[in-house]
Amino acid sequence: MKTVSLTIDGRKIIAEEGTKLLWVALDNGIYIPNLCAIRSSPEPAAACRLCFVEVAGKEAPVTACTETVAEGMVVNTRGKKALRLARSAFELLMASHPVDCAGCPANRSCELQKISGHLKVKLKTKRLRTLLRELPIDDSHPLFTYDPNKCVLCGRCLWVCRQQLGIGVLGFAHRGFQRVVTTFADEPLGQSRCQECGDCIAVCPTGALSFKDSAKPAARAVKI
Amino acid sequence: MKVAEPAAVAVAYNEIKSRAESRWRELANGDKPVIMVGTATCGRAAGALQVLKTLRNEVKKHNLDCPVVEVGCMGHCHAEPIVMIKKPGYPFISYGYVNPVVAERLVKEFLLGDDPCLESVLGALEENDLVPSLADFPRAVYEKKIILQNCGQIDPTDIDHYVARDGYAALARVLQMPPDDDVINEVKKSGLRGRGGAGFPAGQKWHACRSTPPGPRYIICNGDEGDPGAFMDRAILESDPHSVIEGMIIAGYAIGASYGYIYVRAEYPLAVARLEIALRQARKLNLLGKNILGSGFSFHIRLFQGSGAFVCGEATALAASIEGKPGTPRPKPPRMTTEGLFGRPTVVNNVKTLAFVPPIIRNGAAWFTSIGTKDSPGTAVFALAGKIANTGLVEVPMGTTLRQVIFDVGGGIPKGKKFKAVQIGGPSGGCLPESALDLPIDFDSLQDAGAMMGSGGMVVLDEDDCMVEIARYFLEFTQRESCGKCTFCRLGTKQMLAILDDITLGQGKEGDIDTLLQLAEDVKLGSLCGLGKTAPNPVLTTLRYFKDEYEAHITEGRCPALMCRELIAYYILPDKCERSCDACVGTCTVEAITPNKKRIKVIDQEKCVKCNTCLVACPPQYNAVIKLSPPSEVPAAK
Amino acid sequence: MAEEAEKIRRETGRVLGRFSRKRGNLIPILQKVQHRLGYLPREAMLEIARFLDIPEIEVYGVVTFYNQFRRNPPGKHSIRVCLGTACHMKGGYITLDAWKRRLNIGQGETTADREFDLDTVACVGCCTMAPVTVVDDKPQANVEPTRVDGILLAFEREREKKHKENRESS
Repeated sequence: MKTVSLTIDGRKIIAEEGTKLLWVALDNGIYIPNLCAIRSSPEPAAACRLCFVEVAGKEAPVTACTETVAEGMVVNTRGKKALRLARSAFELLMASHPVDCAGCPANRSCELQKISGHLKVKLKTKRLRTLLRELPIDDSHPLFTYDPNKCVLCGRCLWVCRQQLGIGVLGFAHRGFQRVVTTFADEPLGQSRCQECGDCIAVCPTGALSFKDSAKPAARAVKI
Repeated sequence: MKVAEPAAVAVAYNEIKSRAESRWRELANGDKPVIMVGTATCGRAAGALQVLKTLRNEVKKHNLDCPVVEVGCMGHCHAEPIVMIKKPGYPFISYGYVNPVVAERLVKEFLLGDDPCLESVLGALEENDLVPSLADFPRAVYEKKIILQNCGQIDPTDIDHYVARDGYAALARVLQMPPDDDVINEVKKSGLRGRGGAGFPAGQKWHACRSTPPGPRYIICNGDEGDPGAFMDRAILESDPHSVIEGMIIAGYAIGASYGYIYVRAEYPLAVARLEIALRQARKLNLLGKNILGSGFSFHIRLFQGSGAFVCGEATALAASIEGKPGTPRPKPPRMTTEGLFGRPTVVNNVKTLAFVPPIIRNGAAWFTSIGTKDSPGTAVFALAGKIANTGLVEVPMGTTLRQVIFDVGGGIPKGKKFKAVQIGGPSGGCLPESALDLPIDFDSLQDAGAMMGSGGMVVLDEDDCMVEIARYFLEFTQRESCGKCTFCRLGTKQMLAILDDITLGQGKEGDIDTLLQLAEDVKLGSLCGLGKTAPNPVLTTLRYFKDEYEAHITEGRCPALMCRELIAYYILPDKCERSCDACVGTCTVEAITPNKKRIKVIDQEKCVKCNTCLVACPPQYNAVIKLSPPSEVPAAK
Repeated sequence: MAEEAEKIRRETGRVLGRFSRKRGNLIPILQKVQHRLGYLPREAMLEIARFLDIPEIEVYGVVTFYNQFRRNPPGKHSIRVCLGTACHMKGGYITLDAWKRRLNIGQGETTADREFDLDTVACVGCCTMAPVTVVDDKPQANVEPTRVDGILLAFEREREKKHKENRESS
């Protein structure tokens, strides 16, 4: 294994050549906010725009999920420019997210709460207008509920459903602000080919996919 | 690949060329008259097909031996439908604004008689003593046609017309060169920059692709001209499709590709149809397909119809679309030249970039660099639209100023209105004010001013156009066309649009301008692809040059250009309204206008939908209907 | 209904017969099927997914992504109001309002009698004829609210004429 050495937030780190910066940082206990990154995916989605960091010698911040580590690289995850972008992206996500933590099944395990703490940005933004999509909640499945309004379009659920399990019930549809994770023809999940493995719920970073109370199994981790 | 056999290629090409030339001579310099009708989409919208039908009927009726040929777009779109007549003994004359009545007269008076119908003349296409020639028009001083040279002059469905005018000569020459770096070096030396908008050097792109390990490579012609206000690519594909096909084959030979895709919008059905014909004809003459002209080089082109998504103009999204997926861009690197279509090295070039290739090969790189500016050689093609007299296509050398293009070539602003701004580069570009008019146009100067060459749409705006509204319009467009993948583009543009919506509705509030500016900067820096990165440009430039208009909307509820419908009201000036005239009453689409006791017309503000019809209908000698902003300016009814 | 289902099956099958099972053929297949049926019914999408051996959601993802594809049957006449820059600045949005008002439907809808469907188009490149409305695939120049009425009247006349002819012949 060929390695490179780099510095992240002042710490010297040895990493495998060709790895993306985000995974190197996370593996070394340095948290960089992220939602859409999937380790087993050959190509980063680079969609959530939360993992901005500053790399010495580069004028603009870069996304850690797309940046390959290099010998001698000096990374600052707390740079002013990078944080401004990450905060702005997070605020945008939250301005279109129904914030009702107390009534949400993901409360306290929600990654949005974690990111909010890390970036020191309030969950309810004052600067931006609240723009919700007001999509119907899918309650048709006996085991779980899907609330598309809480979805941040990270794509983890459809990755496990399609790539890891080969089922492919879920996918992205529509475009722009209407982009949504859904089923064929927006049909109820209860009528789909879902095999009830629950992996999509395990990987969902928010409360968009959640077990119904009666069906809640013990928490388990699914690796992606 | 087999080594090229120069002699065989030359023989094969000359055979094609001499047949084409004799056919062309017969048409252009023969002893019978010829009628040409511009039937590109712009001509058709103005009624060219009816004119064509009339001309054919008349010619048939009078038993005239006179071919009626369809040609493409000459660029004088404002004067469509355009008919050109070549009659022995007369200069080659073009006629503008032709309708079926004029068409009938042209046959009867000119072809059968001796009256060249001077009242309908647009201009002659050659120097003569009878009619002023188009070359003497003021715009001709600035125009320099390279890729528009054939447009409107040849029948795009007849490959011989193209060949007779040196078509495929560049290909024949290239095929006689060894398949190494010679072609790429020539393109590199010419300094040709990508005409899709960003201006990346084409030769460098080709070189990068060619330098990849052996294996399949692709070339894609990007004809997904989605910018509203741009129609250059459409005109070229409809009027001179072979120039693009030839450029593509040469590019394929240079980078070592055997397959190419032409990606055209499905909204351009005529371009698709004409390309299909052109491809078929090129294959038939062995200018395309297996073992082209006996050179050993094979190249195949497929036509792919885009399904209507602006974002597919972005190269990675375009490739995804050909692969049968939604057109969502992916992060770069890897660049397309190393990992593109189906994961293989791919060159994506704009229609115009490829159309420049044959003339560069024919005339040499030095000729090309002698035109234009040092860093942006060659010409720029612009689609002039909006509040400008000569709407249409123009081709001018890079370095021409905006003022020359708008006022000298374009003929200035009609109806005596005042120039306010020019929108360049569509949703990715910006609005430049009067003070920027003396800017020489090239890739870099426009970028510095906050706009962008884009693909070349130029929409001229006058005093009646609201700059907040134009920014809102473009943002609504990008927001609607955003693929939705990345946060900044999906939600950032939506937030910006919400603010602009509020401002144009008179609901803007203090702080909105600051938030708008911050969001614009973040979206520009933080978006994944070019669509998002350039989406804020219309907002940033209007904020930079026309901030006072934003402020008038927010603080006074007033739209200075009298455009934003919520902030204006229509009003009939009682002292100007003519008692005997009922024009507005009759045309009002919602019956909101009634005469009062003195027969002075009054608008019921509750019913009025602000459709502008009454203002148009009011005869100019009265000019009694006006717009007021804010609406509270309307005097209370007595 | 059964007749419609049969037609969908037959036409979709006919299109699929001309393609190989490559994913890259998805968009051309969808275009051809829509060309024949006027829209992309649920059953056709399922059939195409089976043919290409991909999850049906992926077909749905593509169909909903691109503007060109419609999932509802179109009207007899298609009205497409161009909202390109030039058309917008010359009042295309006012024209759109006029169409909505006269047809009494919204954007993306079909009239109850299935005579007209109304939508917008980003730009048809006829910017010099602004504002443009594309009526049955033909771009019409300078369509302002009064022209809207004129175009509708022409359709009305034609319908009446046909009606009369039908009556006379029967």
